[in-house]
Amino acid sequence: MKIEILFPEVCNLFGDLGNIRYLEKVLPQAEFCSTPLCGDVRFVREKVDLVYLGAMTEQTQERVIQKLMPLRDDISKEIDGGTVFLFTGNALEIFGDYIENEDGSRIDGLGLYRLHAKRDRQNRHNSAFLGEFDGNAVMGIKTQFSISYTPDDSTGLFKVVKGVGLNRDASTEGIRVHNFFGTYLLGPLLVQNPPFMRYLLRLIGAENTPLAFEKEADEAYAVRLEEYRDEAFVAEKAPESNKLPIPKLPIRFKH
Amino acid sequence: MKKTFRFYFALFFAKCTALLLKLIGRKGTSMPGSWAIILCPDFIGRITKPKKIIGITGTNGKTTVANMLEDILTQNNIPFFCNRSGSNVNTGIASALIANSNLLGHPKQDLAVLELDERSAPKLYPYLQPDILICTNIFRDSCKRNAHAEFILSILNQEIPKGTKLVLNGDDPLCSSICPENDRVYFSIDHLDTDKTVCENIVNDAPICPNCSGPLTHDVVRYHHIGRVHCTRCGYCSPEADYLATDIDLSAMTMTVKSGETQSTYSLPNSSTINIYNTLAVISGLLEFGLTPEQIRVPLQTLHISETRYMETETPNGKKIILHLAKAQNPIACSRAFENVRNAPGRKSVLLLLDDRHDAMHTVESKAWLYDTDFEFLNDDSIVQLILVGARHYDTYLRALLADIPENRITHMRNERDAVSALDAHADTIFILYEIHSISLSEEIRQSILDSAWAKGEKPAGD
Repeated sequence: MKIEILFPEVCNLFGDLGNIRYLEKVLPQAEFCSTPLCGDVRFVREKVDLVYLGAMTEQTQERVIQKLMPLRDDISKEIDGGTVFLFTGNALEIFGDYIENEDGSRIDGLGLYRLHAKRDRQNRHNSAFLGEFDGNAVMGIKTQFSISYTPDDSTGLFKVVKGVGLNRDASTEGIRVHNFFGTYLLGPLLVQNPPFMRYLLRLIGAENTPLAFEKEADEAYAVRLEEYRDEAFVAEKAPESNKLPIPKLPIRFKH
Repeated sequence: MKKTFRFYFALFFAKCTALLLKLIGRKGTSMPGSWAIILCPDFIGRITKPKKIIGITGTNGKTTVANMLEDILTQNNIPFFCNRSGSNVNTGIASALIANSNLLGHPKQDLAVLELDERSAPKLYPYLQPDILICTNIFRDSCKRNAHAEFILSILNQEIPKGTKLVLNGDDPLCSSICPENDRVYFSIDHLDTDKTVCENIVNDAPICPNCSGPLTHDVVRYHHIGRVHCTRCGYCSPEADYLATDIDLSAMTMTVKSGETQSTYSLPNSSTINIYNTLAVISGLLEFGLTPEQIRVPLQTLHISETRYMETETPNGKKIILHLAKAQNPIACSRAFENVRNAPGRKSVLLLLDDRHDAMHTVESKAWLYDTDFEFLNDDSIVQLILVGARHYDTYLRALLADIPENRITHMRNERDAVSALDAHADTIFILYEIHSISLSEEIRQSILDSAWAKGEKPAGD
C-alpha cells in the first residue's frame, strides 16, 4: 500500500500532518512517500492508494496550483478512476474553479469540480462543526480566511448537523467527487473521527485493520460527541476581540 | 492628528473610568482604553506620544524581553512608562497612554516601553510610530487568531512605519526579512553546544527561501526554524550580526556580546536557548537606545525572569515544584517548555494545565495545536509521569500515546485538582506547565502540592 503526502514541508498548517502520523501508526507496513514542492508528483505516474494534501498559506496555495496545473488532465483521470484523495483545510480550493481575493481578482484553480472560494483576510472564520457521514457523526473545527461556494449541495461531503457548512447557506460541508474527499475540518480529522477513519481504510483496502489506540480514540470521540450534541453547545461564538467589557454608547460625534 | 472635542471627551471619560476602577481596587485592566477607542476610534493617533518609544513585538518572548528591558531602565533611574500591567493590544496601549498623560493628553514621561501584539499591528502602527522596534521572532501561534506565520509577516510588512528602526533576530529567516527598507540591526548567537543541523521539531515555519521560494538549507538549527540558513538557488543567507553573542558559558551563566570592535560580557538570567535570545534582544535594543554596556551589565547580574513565567519552589523534603508558562494554542511555546522539561535534571513528573477553559468559554475550542506540538520531548526516561487534566484529557491522552509515551507513565483525569493525589512519589521535581488563563489555578495546585505527602513525606526507599 502506498500513501503519498503532497508537499508536507509547506502544506502542514494547523496540526493536520497529525492525520499522517496516525495513518503511519495504523498502517505500519504501508509505504509513505513525501513529495516536496520541488519534486515529482507520484500519483499521476504510479499507483498510489491514498493522496493527502494538508492546509497551507494563501501564497502556498498559488504555488501549489502552479505546480499541479500542468497535471490537470492526469489528475482528472485519477479522480474519475477512483483514486482516493484526502484534502484538508484550504487544500480543497486547489481543485476548484477559482479563488477570489478581497479586491475581486481571481486565481484560477484546476477546475476539477464546481467550487469557488472567497478570501477575507480581515475576518477569520472560526467554528466547531458536527456533521454526519455514512450514518456516523463527524466532528472538527474550522479556522479559515476563505468561504467556499458550490452551485448546489450535490457534491457535499458531510451533512451539517451543527455549525457552518461550506458557507452559511450550505447544508453540507466539504466536497466529494468519486473518492476525492475535501473538507475544511481540522482536528486532525482522522484522529478525531474513528468512524470516518475506518471508512477511509475500507476504501483503500485496509478494512480489517484495527485503529491504533482504538479504545482511546473511540473514548475521546464519544466524550466529545456527547458535548457537541448537547443543546448548550454553541458551534460559533463572537470573536473575543469583539467582546468588550462594556456596552457601546449610542453617542455620535463629528470629527 | 489633531485633538478634537471627541478626543478630549474620550480622554476625560477614560480617565474617570480608570479612577473608578482604582477606587474599587481593580488593576491592569484595558477598560479605560476600550472606552477611549469606542468613543474616539483613532484615539491612539490623537493623543500626544512621548518623545521616544521602544516597542517590543514578535510571537514568543516579547513579555520577557519587555520586562527585562524595563527592569534595566528602572535600575538606571531612567524615567519611562510601559504597559506591563495591561494588555498589548490597542486597548491596552491606549490605557497605558491614558494613565501616563495629563488631562490635555500630553505624556508625563518622555520615554515609553510598549509591548506590542503582532496581530494588532493594523490597529497600532497607523497611529503610533516606535523609534526602535525589537522583534524577537516570528512563528505560528494560535491558528484561530494568528492564522499562520506568513499572515503575521504580511501585516507587519504592511503596517510597520518606514521610520522605525528595527532590532531583529538575525537567526530567524522570517523575522530578519521584515520591512527590508527600514533601518535595522540584527542580533545573533554565534555558537551553542546544542547546535544541530537537522530540525527535530514538528514545525518548521521557514522551509523555503523568503527571497526566491526555493528550498532553504539549514546550516545550524537551534529550535524549529531558528538557526543559520542559506539558499542554494538565489544565494540568500542569514544576515551578518550587528550584535553577536559568543562564548556562552552556561556554568558561569555569562555570554559575551560583540558589536563592531567592542565587546562586553553579560550575565544570563536563564539558561534556556529562548531566554539567551531574549537577553540578547534586550542588550541589542538597549545599546541601540543609547545605554552603555556597563549600564546594562550591572542590572543584568541581579535580573530574574518574571515569576508569572517561571518559578521554582523547594519543598520541605528537598524536592522541587516548578511553575513554567507554556501557553496553550501556541505549539512553539509548548514545545519549548516540553524541551526544557526534558533537559532538566532528575526524575520529573509533568502536569499539563493546558486545557483551555478560557478558550472554550469565549471562542471555539481547538485541539489541533496538539499535533503541531512536540509531545515527543516528553517521551524520555527522566520523565517518570505525565499527568493530563481537564475537559479534553482524552484527546490529550491520545496525542501523548501517538508520541509513543508509554501508557504506564501517563495519568489522565477530568478534575485538575485531583492531580495532586496522583503524583508519583519517585519524582524529584514536578513541573506544572500552565497557560496564561490558568495562572491562579496553577498557583492553587502548587500550594496543594506543598501541603501534600509528596512534598512533606519521606522519599521512597532506593532513591
